[in-house]
Amino acid sequence: MSCPKTQYLLHEYFSEDLSAVARDELDRHLSGCAHCNAELESVLLVQRDMQQWQEQSVPHWDRGRELFRREHRAERPLSRLWLSWQWLPTAASLAMLCVLLFNVNVVSNESGFSVSFGGSAGANIDLRASMARFEQAQRDEMQQLVARVESRQDSNNVQLLQAVMEQTQQSTADSFDQMYAYFEQQRLLDLQDMRAGYEQLVDSDYETIRSLQQLVNYVGYQGDIR
Amino acid sequence: MSLIDEDEALIAAALKGSAYAWEKLVKRYESKIYNHGLRLTGNSSDAMDLMQEVFLGVYRNLHRFRGDAKFSSWIFRIAHNKAVDMNRRKRLMTSSPKFSSEDEGDEFEKFPGRTNLEPEYRLVSQELNTRILTMLNELSMDQRSIVELKVFQSLTFDEIAELQDISANTVKTRFYSALKKLKVVSEKENVLS
Repeated sequence: MSCPKTQYLLHEYFSEDLSAVARDELDRHLSGCAHCNAELESVLLVQRDMQQWQEQSVPHWDRGRELFRREHRAERPLSRLWLSWQWLPTAASLAMLCVLLFNVNVVSNESGFSVSFGGSAGANIDLRASMARFEQAQRDEMQQLVARVESRQDSNNVQLLQAVMEQTQQSTADSFDQMYAYFEQQRLLDLQDMRAGYEQLVDSDYETIRSLQQLVNYVGYQGDIR
Repeated sequence: MSLIDEDEALIAAALKGSAYAWEKLVKRYESKIYNHGLRLTGNSSDAMDLMQEVFLGVYRNLHRFRGDAKFSSWIFRIAHNKAVDMNRRKRLMTSSPKFSSEDEGDEFEKFPGRTNLEPEYRLVSQELNTRILTMLNELSMDQRSIVELKVFQSLTFDEIAELQDISANTVKTRFYSALKKLKVVSEKENVLS
């Protein structure tokens, strides 16, 4: 058995803004209508089933930490300390520029320091004289230095030449010794060869003489026969 | 300090560049958003994607949060929008309209590829959760979203209506239809088991 009010009533049942009067009326109907009551119980049961969900733990992830740090590192403002001393290099440069532009002179003497701005003619003359003295001193020092370098270079050259000559003499003597030994060896070999050849020649002559003697004997024998 | 005030303090610190405040803010809401995503998408990888997209959206728009509404409402609005976007993207990627139309005409709004249970889905340890996900899987995206907001986030019908830009009556109708459908699914499950 169905009830035509079921759908509407259950829509309203879940409304949060239902008035007290409407809520009473709804409860009254539900207590008297088995169909609506059963329908409500079944959907409430489903809702309770849903609410039994157990929270799942989140798998590990970096929570956007890297992105956050990377982007905020790029935007990080300058530290207060740096900001408070940032003017110092500019101020120092400006002070040095002023010193140069206004030709500031600081002179120290027994009575203390004196600071003057701009150059005077006397000061310029003194400056030129001291510059000339300084230049002369530098030139003298440079000439002495050149002379020392030249003498040292000459000495080095002589030593080098001597060393080269000694080396050359030594190598030449070695070469002559080697050549003498070679020639001596060759001479001995030639003597041996000559002796061998002479002995061979003597043997050959001896054979020739023997042959001639045999021939003479033979000729003499033939003469005797006739 | 109340939770809302604490949220606002963390947001202010995060906007000034405190990574610690940002992480603490994320930790306060990550579980809720992850479980919200898990119930909406039905699997852990999509839920993780959704959660990361939500927090990226929060991070990108944190300076726009004025404190007019609760931070929790704001973040769940972002989560809802991201879930709708994700659902749309997945529908476009798998364009086979093979879903049955036995009940509502918006059945095609289900997350695609959910008819067969995914490995991650099977890995959900709690039996109760698995059962709930199976039941939610039978709902359309609209219905699932309303059940999520009403049952799990305890929003009022008016708040849901405002969030989804529909009338409160439509919300009530969808909610009741969803409960009825869940009842049918639950009865089927009981019969099968």
